[in-house]
Amino acid sequence: MKNYGVMLKRVGTIASVMMLFSLFSSCEKEVFDPALTHEFTIQSIANGATYNIKVGLPTDYNPSVEKYASIYVLDGEENFDFVSNKCKEISDKLAVTNAVVISIGYGKDRSIDYTPTEVSAVTGGGPQFLHFIKTQLIPAIEENMSVDTARSSRVILGHSYGGLFGAYAFSTDSKLFGNYILLSPSLWFDDLISLQFEKDHRNKNKDREQLVFMGIGETENSGRMQAPFEAFYQILQDNYTHIKLEKNMEENLGHMGSKNPNIVKGLDYYFQNR
Amino acid sequence: MKAIKYLMLLIALLFGANGIAQKDISVITNELSTLRQLTIEPGIGIHTNFGTDFLVTNLMQWNPRKHLSFASHTSFNINNITQRYFNSVKTNYNFSINQKFGVGTTLYSKKQSHTFLLMVGAKYTTYKETLDDERFDRVGSTITAFSPDYGLMYSLKRGWKKYFFTYRMYVPLYPWPTKGSNILYLDGNMDNIALELGFGIKIK
Repeated sequence: MKNYGVMLKRVGTIASVMMLFSLFSSCEKEVFDPALTHEFTIQSIANGATYNIKVGLPTDYNPSVEKYASIYVLDGEENFDFVSNKCKEISDKLAVTNAVVISIGYGKDRSIDYTPTEVSAVTGGGPQFLHFIKTQLIPAIEENMSVDTARSSRVILGHSYGGLFGAYAFSTDSKLFGNYILLSPSLWFDDLISLQFEKDHRNKNKDREQLVFMGIGETENSGRMQAPFEAFYQILQDNYTHIKLEKNMEENLGHMGSKNPNIVKGLDYYFQNR
Repeated sequence: MKAIKYLMLLIALLFGANGIAQKDISVITNELSTLRQLTIEPGIGIHTNFGTDFLVTNLMQWNPRKHLSFASHTSFNINNITQRYFNSVKTNYNFSINQKFGVGTTLYSKKQSHTFLLMVGAKYTTYKETLDDERFDRVGSTITAFSPDYGLMYSLKRGWKKYFFTYRMYVPLYPWPTKGSNILYLDGNMDNIALELGFGIKIK
């Protein structure tokens, strides 16, 4: 009986250690191939901040024969490796040309850079950040990398405040990007200011060809995310004649949990419909 | 691989509970007044998402043996109760119902008992938000969701007669790690950690 008890304890200990090992190993951060990654910094003239830029190249990157699409990723320090790896996986699966992934690290606080208007001391730097992307980052990338300079080959991908920034770019400077992956966008910000921007600029934007993917989590029930998300989607659907539009709601996931599944679905939609 | 992970989790929990129960059995006497066979324990509580959800709950616990516990836990949650209008977004309604069943073990002392349970069940959530701003069309969004609900529950009962106070804590294991191992899923778990207070009645 005593031996049986000792044996049970040992089995229990081994099972616990295996379980913890399994859980911790599943938390490892994925890394994109360092040999295909370039890194540099740019100081923004508009706001003085220095941004760490990472560029992920396709495996078969060949500047002499190919011009690639470019995917600009906000919250780059968190998303670069995941987005780069998924671009490779999805383009391989679909047998289409991969894109160059450009991730933008944090210069100022993300709540400053990604919000279009000032409602507190830590918001309202969106216009300067967009100016930096337009006048410094995109020209630097297009000068030094073999990327297609057409608007239709540029994508912006953002989550939460990053999604809000994408919606801001969509409305106020639609010539810059032709494709938008907007994930759990904080469209509630400043009393629905992004919906107002869209309304104000609708006439000049509504006939442009563009692709918009919107994603959200099913359990984002904090009383601010779902209704503006649905309203923005319906406005695009009803008013934009040449838009390729898709939305996705991730089952049983919240604001952060839905991010990566929606990135995958957004990239998949982009690669299939660009 | 996923099934092995769940199995290991279950084995580890049961062995842990068994080990603790074996250790304590020698100091527990059969005359303990905290020993109860069947209890009903209504309570109220909050989720740990900044305390914006209000919970009305009930735990029924049956101990067929001293260290073997079965339980049924029901929770009706009025979610986001303190913020029904935010930046022109109106919450029309927002509630969820959880029903779980569990198995575990109970440890006893002179005036209190501690129950550890592995719970499995389902959660139904429904909510509606409406854009309420005259500048824009009135757009509503209604979400109805069913999800599994797994987790660990701790229940403290303090008191030694027919009536007693009870405190419960529930830590969900869904969506992380049972839906997926991505650590970002944890925000769903954090939103549903429940803290409850109530009183209990010994039926048997």
